[in-house]
Amino acid sequence: MTTNSVSSDHRVAIRVERVGFTTLQDLGRPGWAHLGVPHSGAADRASHRLANRLAGNLPTAATFETSGGLVLRADRDVVVVLTGPDCEAFVDEISLARCRATRVSAGQHVRIERVHAGVRSYLAVSGGIDCPMLLGSRSLDALSAIVPQPLTDGVELSVGTPRDQPQSLDLPIWPTQSSRIRVSRGPHAELFAPELLEQLTHTTWTVSPASNRVGVRLAAATDGDAAFADSLTSSSLGELDSLPLVRGAVQLTPSGELVVMLADHPTTGGYPVIAVVHADDIDQSAQCEPGIEIDLSWTD
Amino acid sequence: MRVRPYGYEATIIDQLGPYAAATLREEILDACEKNGLLYIDVIPAATSVVVTHEARVGNEIRRVVSGLSERVTSATRAMGMLVELPVRYDGADLTDVAETCSLSVERLIALHSNAEYEVSFCGFAPGFAYLVGLPRELHLPRRASPRTRVPAGSVAIAARYSAVYPRESPGGWHLLGTTTATLWDIAREQPALLQPGTRVRFVRAE
Repeated sequence: MTTNSVSSDHRVAIRVERVGFTTLQDLGRPGWAHLGVPHSGAADRASHRLANRLAGNLPTAATFETSGGLVLRADRDVVVVLTGPDCEAFVDEISLARCRATRVSAGQHVRIERVHAGVRSYLAVSGGIDCPMLLGSRSLDALSAIVPQPLTDGVELSVGTPRDQPQSLDLPIWPTQSSRIRVSRGPHAELFAPELLEQLTHTTWTVSPASNRVGVRLAAATDGDAAFADSLTSSSLGELDSLPLVRGAVQLTPSGELVVMLADHPTTGGYPVIAVVHADDIDQSAQCEPGIEIDLSWTD
Repeated sequence: MRVRPYGYEATIIDQLGPYAAATLREEILDACEKNGLLYIDVIPAATSVVVTHEARVGNEIRRVVSGLSERVTSATRAMGMLVELPVRYDGADLTDVAETCSLSVERLIALHSNAEYEVSFCGFAPGFAYLVGLPRELHLPRRASPRTRVPAGSVAIAARYSAVYPRESPGGWHLLGTTTATLWDIAREQPALLQPGTRVRFVRAE
């Protein structure tokens, strides 16, 4: 036993039986972007924060961010909280309700099979997943391959000490479900003709299956929309200097796709940043499923 | 220099000169400290700096940063720490670059290793530093087709920059040589060897 055991219990609490499409996430790595390190952290921060709050954890505690296929076994009694979109989740054969502090007894299994009407669910364990940090964070950064705690089938994890009593909501809070995303003008918007900027919000965009934690890719939905995307990319912009990117920045790629920067976005980029997603709509962007149609609307 | 909102949770300062971003970053860090303003990151790029912050302090940060303009536009090269990187000029593109630039290989090496560089900004990967100060004779567009695998420690050039690949990755820059220096080590107290403002010399190693 090390002296660390004063503040957290280092006994194994959870065994990952199947990882599925799951990473550990907290609030990421602020303070390192000037060295090229992505911010990373939970893609849908509101759902991550809510899971931690209900589990009695600080918002900085690590949660499981999963798009499904996750199976955990409790090695001792733990309390879990599930947030995010509707999903098929169970404790053994009983449905796991969202936004409720749920006791999982030693030997029971938690399964998150499939996420519906969204992309990412969050599972907090009361006390938080206790694993090594890199640059102050337990988040896996897919872009830079920063992996403080590899998740593999069979890995055993310990949990920390909860800060507060876990609690439940009588009515679950759902992530915002809307096909409308609000944007403001990006640093390069001035390089585009005003009528093209206007047209951007009269175009339907489809979420591409190539979307991931780095960014949500939006492709023109119809031939007419594609013709518009072509006219955007053929705007003569001259040589652009690389610009720092922020969460929610919308880049226009040479192929006419829009990419909304998510948690693992690179720190700088060379494509034009035409728009920036409203701070309150970024979590919603992270829950946009491939195939759904999106409309953008200007706030300025 | 212009100061504008970049969404609700960031501010961009752009239209900077090629050596101003790293200096402006230091000025912004100082000014935020003096005024008790909370920022998240202050990120330099080629000719711009972005401050990320909570929405509620945006106007205050923009007011303070606007007041720095006088000093920054007159900024020349920062006097950062000098790092010397040993280089073996054995890169896969050495002879091609010499040919494209109409230089002998010897002259190319002399030009690259006699220049003094400064880190303008980092990006692309943790610890990847864009170095300004590359002699004009060596300014070239990126390779037409990027390599899928560039070895760690590769010393390369593209456009007006030189750089060292901190770890193996894909890359489209022209490879001139290799260094044994460790550019990025996440376990080090200071993981990045090169930071914005650091001065760099490439020293030819046999």
